[in-house]
This record gives sequence, structure tokens and C-alpha cells, in this order.
Amino acid sequence: MGETLLQVKDLRVSYYTYAGEVQSVRGISFDVEKGETVAIVGESGCGKSVTAKSIMRLIADPGKIKEGSSITLDGRDILAMSGRELRSYRGAECAMIFQDALTSLDPTMKVGKQIAEVLTIHGMATKREAAAKAVELLRQVGIPNPERRAQEYPHQFSGGMRQRAMIATALACGPKLLIADEPTTALDVTIQAQIIDLMKQMQKELNAAILLITHDLGVVADIARRICVMYSGKIVERGSADDIFYRPRHPYTLALLSAVPRLDLENKEHLASIEGTPPDLLKPPAGCPFCTRCKYCMPICQEEMPESTDFGGGHQASCWLHDPRAPRVDAPLYDEKEGRV
Amino acid sequence: MLKYTVRRFFEMLLTLFIIATATFFLLEAVPGDPLTTRAERLPESVAENLYHKYGLDKSTMERYVITMKGMLKGDFGESVVMPGYDIQQLLKETLAPSARLGLQCIIVGVGLGLILGILAAMFKGTWADYLIVFFSVLMISVPTLIFGLLLQKYVAGELGLFPIVGWPKGDDLWFGGWEYTVLPTLSGCFSYVATYSRLLKTSMLDVINQDYVLAARAKGLSEPQIVRRHILRNAFIPIITVLPMSVAFALTGSFFIEKIYSIPGFGRYFIDSIQAQDLSIVLGQTVLMAILYVAVVFVVDILYTVVDPRIRVGGRT
Amino acid sequence: MEKAIDPRFVVKGCENTDKEAIVRPTITYAQDAWRRLRKNPVAMVSLAVLVLLIILAVFGPTICGQDYTYMEPALKNQPPSAEHWFGTDLLGRDLFARVCVGARVSLLIALVCTCVQVIIGCIYGGIMAYFGGWVDSIMMRIIEVMMSLPYLLVVILVMLVLGNSVPSLLVALCVTSWCNTARAVRGVILQLKSSEYVMAAQTLGASPWRIIIRHLLPNTMGILILNTATSIPNYIFQESTLSFLGIGLQPPDTSLGVIISLGQDAMQFYPLQLIFPAAILVLIVLSFNLLGDGLRDALDPKLRK
Repeated sequence: MGETLLQVKDLRVSYYTYAGEVQSVRGISFDVEKGETVAIVGESGCGKSVTAKSIMRLIADPGKIKEGSSITLDGRDILAMSGRELRSYRGAECAMIFQDALTSLDPTMKVGKQIAEVLTIHGMATKREAAAKAVELLRQVGIPNPERRAQEYPHQFSGGMRQRAMIATALACGPKLLIADEPTTALDVTIQAQIIDLMKQMQKELNAAILLITHDLGVVADIARRICVMYSGKIVERGSADDIFYRPRHPYTLALLSAVPRLDLENKEHLASIEGTPPDLLKPPAGCPFCTRCKYCMPICQEEMPESTDFGGGHQASCWLHDPRAPRVDAPLYDEKEGRV
Repeated sequence: MLKYTVRRFFEMLLTLFIIATATFFLLEAVPGDPLTTRAERLPESVAENLYHKYGLDKSTMERYVITMKGMLKGDFGESVVMPGYDIQQLLKETLAPSARLGLQCIIVGVGLGLILGILAAMFKGTWADYLIVFFSVLMISVPTLIFGLLLQKYVAGELGLFPIVGWPKGDDLWFGGWEYTVLPTLSGCFSYVATYSRLLKTSMLDVINQDYVLAARAKGLSEPQIVRRHILRNAFIPIITVLPMSVAFALTGSFFIEKIYSIPGFGRYFIDSIQAQDLSIVLGQTVLMAILYVAVVFVVDILYTVVDPRIRVGGRT
Repeated sequence: MEKAIDPRFVVKGCENTDKEAIVRPTITYAQDAWRRLRKNPVAMVSLAVLVLLIILAVFGPTICGQDYTYMEPALKNQPPSAEHWFGTDLLGRDLFARVCVGARVSLLIALVCTCVQVIIGCIYGGIMAYFGGWVDSIMMRIIEVMMSLPYLLVVILVMLVLGNSVPSLLVALCVTSWCNTARAVRGVILQLKSSEYVMAAQTLGASPWRIIIRHLLPNTMGILILNTATSIPNYIFQESTLSFLGIGLQPPDTSLGVIISLGQDAMQFYPLQLIFPAAILVLIVLSFNLLGDGLRDALDPKLRK
């Protein structure tokens, strides 16, 4: 076990709208060790982006991180930081890559200047040094002809190059933690692989931890060591990449996995999909949030939220099926070794 | 770019031609002519001479052709109401006060408006925001005329802080005689304050919700830095394209303010000469305004490409 | 080691549950806009003030019991009193009654002009957008020419040709004002025509009528409501400006502009004769503008929550 870098404990985030309190994140805990890659996976609206923004303290009105939540980086309490501390934390210690690189780059500012900006405001370089460093960073992230490209505007870049420029900006100050919020969603599949490779390579060079937020299990397989599966504001299953891919313990993870297109399967049947929609977070259900869409739903699932069951090695899942009282269903949710009653 | 400019130029000529023609026939449609009242009091032969002098004895079409030909040479004809004056002479004497008043109003009004707009956007949802919004709506809800009259009566009349009427002349034409210009500028600037504070606030709120502002915050920029470096740059784009239009309008003077404060400006002749059917002056003024308008549209188009790099290469995104 | 099976632990699956159930009640666009408008205190206060002013404009003379034309030579230029709430003017007429009647005329003119503007603008803009092509470009050129003529020139000349009366003032005010509405309507319709959701509706086999009623109308409504809200104060402004210049209405006709114009003559010694009608004018225009601002916020789908 490495040294813990980021620790999130019982994070709760709510948005206070006209319609009422929308509980986007409902008490999640996880941690990221130095230099490792952790992925948070889930479908849209499950609260994964809100989690990412919470770590950067970017939750804006009408959203609020609720009392009792705690986020620490290197032992420092992020939720208690003052404005000044927060500014030196953002961008320098913890940087973020956004989903849509086109809208995340200022259209009226040259790309080189946008990269240099993060260096100058953190006092890491003078204006001239920063400009030179920006060109160097662009070269590092694999942009050809970086001297000229630094003088161009974002709209002159292609989608993949914009995302590379975003990565260059994020890595400029050598952060300890890089949060990548759906970094490949807006890109072509061929470019996706390049960006993931680039992130892996940069991680190795800088020894930064990556928190990858995505809905795409295919992207995760390649890069993440540990995975948290989020559903409806809660982490329903967590474990190493192997655990999640080969020994899923939660029906949602299982459903998610069977919804990934695979080439290695013989039978070219219908691509499975998960029917229905996640619950309304205005009125979160008392029981398991997945119960309305779960093949194995039991009456208890609608009444009470299941406790998480530990399968060893950090592999945990919250599902009533693993309760001793539950029947053993015909599903690949169990380990052979596991002694069942 | 050259092709575009040339096309623009010919379009402008066409527009001017249409405007001049429309103005001419609109004035013709009014019953009577500018000499009717004067001619009644004159002996018939004198009146006839007068009609002949201004070409009013000819048929409408003939006069149309003569007017248009004259216009091509820059000759709009002599004023009927103010003998001895033509439009160039009138402009020479009256444009400077109007332009100074207009520019002062713009500088004060737009400056104040932009500051208030920034404040309203930054303190959105607080009492400061509500106060600014209310203030700016109030400003456009009070007619310039009423502002002018009340300021004149109370600030100049009762308190005696500034002269009641008048405008700097001679050496003071452009710089100096400031005490005369305070109240007219104040009366005229409020509509700009209101317009520009609202415009900038809306534009800033649009920009504030953009992803790149969130990205800038994630980079560790402070709020003032974000406003200065990213929000204002983008929020000013619509402002810069509206501003030239305001300047063009301001240059041609304000009828009410000039009337109330007896400013020897250009604006007050506009309505008077329309009512007097003084073709040469009306035509000259209309064409001047049209040229300004077209020129401004052209300037705005060019400004767009300067301010917004997305337009410089390829089309607008 | 069989245990008694807990009935809560029987797999029943999700086949019978309503997965697509929408928990939240659906709220239409109009309901949502109205709800947001109601939550806006500024807009609601201005709405209340407006209703009050309209009631005053209609029933004011009856309430105060004074006739707006009756001259009492003995009571010229009176200050406000219990009998004459706003005092009297220089012909001894009750100012309150006059202001009420003037506001009535000004409001009516503004309403009629706005209706005309919206109707003509919709038809013209609709035709432009519907036919497109050369019809569109010719009609657009016409608008451009009309808009490049100085507004005052057109209005003054129309008044000179038609003479000073309420109908000719209506014509003069409306003659170019519909151009902006037409352009806005055309823009919205064109945008909608090419929008993906209308294409989707067409692909799904929605009839043209359904598209017009479900998509075009609600989307143009927003623009038209805003247009109305900004036009009314504009017309009130313009009417008073023209009447003040002596181009619009003239005594014995009454409107806010006429009263303000008379008030200006008297302002040197009796400033209240200017201030009262001006204050009412400002109040009407201010309420309309604030209400318009509230409507803009309420109708903006981007702000919908």
C-alpha cells in the first residue's frame, strides 16, 4: 500500500433548486494513493462530475458541499481552505482536465498564453520563461510545430490537439493530483486511445496521481488500477480493475459490463442495455437506488439501503444479494471460493 | 477583403440613392410647399420670383432630376427657410457643438454604464445588483426632456450651480467652458448609462457560465483575475460592436438637449427643417446620417474580425 | 442448514416495476415561466403598480369626481388640495382628472400600436421565413430601406400629411415599427426550421400543424411577449415626445405628452404642473420596463430549473 494522497470521506453535495434539494452526491468515501490511477465510473447524472468539482472546490451556487463531508489532500483539509490557499491549491497541487476542450479554452486568448498563464499566476515563472515553458509543454504533449501553435487560437486546433493543450495546461505546474473529467468523451475513438496513452506517459514522467471520471469502461480498463462504480450519488462497488472486470459483485456493475461492446465474444447478439432511468435525486429512494432496474430485485431492496460487503483486497459492493439471508441467484456474482450458506 | 470593401461601397451608394429618393418624395407628399405661408404676404411678382429662384415652379419630376444631379456634385441647394445657407455652411457652424456634446455624453455615459454593468454582474443577486438594475431601468424610463428641464430648473435655476443656458464658443469650442457643458452632458448621458450597464451585465453573465471560466478558476486564478483576463475580454465583444452606432447617433446631436439649453447645435435644425419642408437641409441631414450609418456598419464588421479571433480565419463559429 | 426464508429476500426482479416512471410532475413552459415570474418581487410589484395605474386611468376621473374639461377661471394654478388632488392647471382644470385621461389616451395608443406592430410583424416575418429565396431577399431589402430612413423624418412627414389626430398618430407611430418584429419573427422561424428537434418531429411524422402549434408558437411567443413589453413603453415615450413637439396630438385632445407640454410652459412658476404628469409617465414606463425585464428572465429557457 502506498501513501494516501487524496482522501474523500462521506462527501455529500446537494443542489438547492426551485423544485427542492437535489442530492447529487449522497455520502461517498474513497481515497487515491500517490502516483496511482483511480477511476470513477457511472452513467450520466450519477454525481461523478460533481465529485470531481467538489475536490477542486468548484461547486457553484445553487450547489453546496454539506456539513460533515471531508476532503483532504496530503493531510490538508481542502474544505477549510481560505480563498488564498485555495488559489494556490488549484492548478498547482491539483489540476483538472475538462470534458469539452473547445469550450474550456478561452476563444479570445492564444493557446500558448493560456498555458503560460497558469505558470505566472502561481509565481513559478516570469512572463518570458512561462512563454518558453508553454512551448516546451506543447512539445511534450506531442503537438507538432509548438512554436507556431502556441501563437494560435483554440479554434485553429483540432479536437485532439485541444485536449492535448488542456493536458499541457493541467500539467504545467506539476500537480500531485490530476482530475480528468471525461477527458475522451468528446473525441474520436482513435484519438481517445492517443489521449489515454499520453496521460499514462505523462503520469509516469511526473509521478502524479490521476482521478479519472468517465462513463466509458473501455477507457478505464487501459489505465486505472482501482475503480469505483458510482450509481445515483453513491459508490455501489469498488475494487481493483481486475475485481471489477472479472469478478463484479454488484448487479449494476454486471449490467454496465455487459453493455460494453466486445470483440472477443463469439455470439454477435444484441448489445445489452440497462433499461429504465436512474432515480430522481430530488426524492432519493430509501432502499437500493438500482432496485427499479435490477433483475434480482427483492422486497428488501426497496426498503433499506444495503450495507457494503467486503470481499477482501479492497473489493466491496453494496447489494442485498450478498446478505446471508438472500437466495443465491443464477448469476456470475459469486466467487467459487466464497462460502455460501 | 478588397472585394468585400468594393461590394460594400456599391451597396452603400445604392442605399444612399434610395434614401435620398424616398426623402424627396416623402417631402413632396406633404401638402403645400415651404414658401406657401411666406408667399401669401408678398406681391405676386415677388412671390413668383421666389418660386423661380428655388425651382419650385417646375414639375416634381424635373425638380427630382435637378436635385439628384446637384447631389452628385455635393450641392444640396440653398435653404428656403434660412436664405444664404446651404447644408455645408450649416454643418460648419453647428456640427462642432453637437459633436462635443455627443462625445461627452458617450464618454461619461458609457464609462459609467460599463462600471455599473461589471458591478451588477459580479454581485449578481445581491442588493447592489438590484439597485443598479433598478437605477438603470429608471434612467431609461425618464425622458431626456424631463431630465433636462428638471436639471435646468433646480440645479441651474434654484441652486445656481451652473449656467442655465449657453455653450462655449470660440477658443473654448472643444476644450473649455466646462461649466456650460455639465448639465447638458448629464441629461444626455443617462440613456447610455442604462443601455451599456444592461448590455455588459447580460453579456458578462453569458460568459460567466462558460466552461473556460470554470477552467480558469480551476487553474487557480482569483476572481478579479478571471474577470480581467477572461470574462471582460469575451464580454466586450458585443459592446464593441454596438458602440460605433452610439457614437454615430451622438455626433448628430440631440434635439431636446440642444433646445432646452440653447446649444447652437445641429440636432435642433432637424425637426424644424422637416416641419418647414426645407428640402435642401432635410436631404443633407438625411444623407449625412445615412452615410454615418453605413460607415458605422462597415466599421463594425471590421471591428468584429479584430475583436473575435474566431472570425479572422474562416467563418464565424 | 435450511433457514426459514425471509419473505423480504425473494427475488422478484424488475419486470413489473415501472422503470420509466417520471417521478416529478411535468411542468409546461408557460407554467414554469409564470411560476418564475411570480417569484420575482420586482416584476410582481411593477405588475401591481401597473394594474393600479390602469384602474386609475380608467376610473380616476370618476373617483375624484372632477371633469377634465371643466374650466374654473377662479381656480387657476391651484396647488394640490383635498378637492383637486394634483391642483389645477392654468385654465383652472383639475390636473388629476386630466392626468388620468391623458394616461388613458397614451396607454390606448401604445396598446393599439403594439397590436398592429405585432400582427403586421408576424405576418410579414412569417411570409419571409416561409417562402424564403427571392421573396425573402426582396422583403428584407424593403425592411432595410425603411429602417435606414430617419425615424423622426417618417413620423413627422406622416403627421404633416395626415394632420394632427389620434388615427394619424397611430399610423405615424406604426409605419416603421413593425420592421424589427418582422425581423425577429423571421429569425426565430428560420432558426427553428433548421433546428434538429423540428427535424426530429418531422421524421416522427408530426403534421405541419402540430409543429406550428407545439414548436413554432411557443418559441415565437417568448419573443413576441418581450417585443410587446418593450414596445409599449416605447410608444408611450414617442407619443409624449411628438405631442410635446407639437407634432403629435394637440389641445383640445389630451394625452400625457400634451399635458407635459402644457406643464413645461407653466414650470417656471408652477413646477408641479410638469412634475405630476411626468411622474405618472415615468411610473408607467418604469413598471413596463421592469415587468419586461422580469419576463425576459422568466421566459429564458436557459434559466429554467
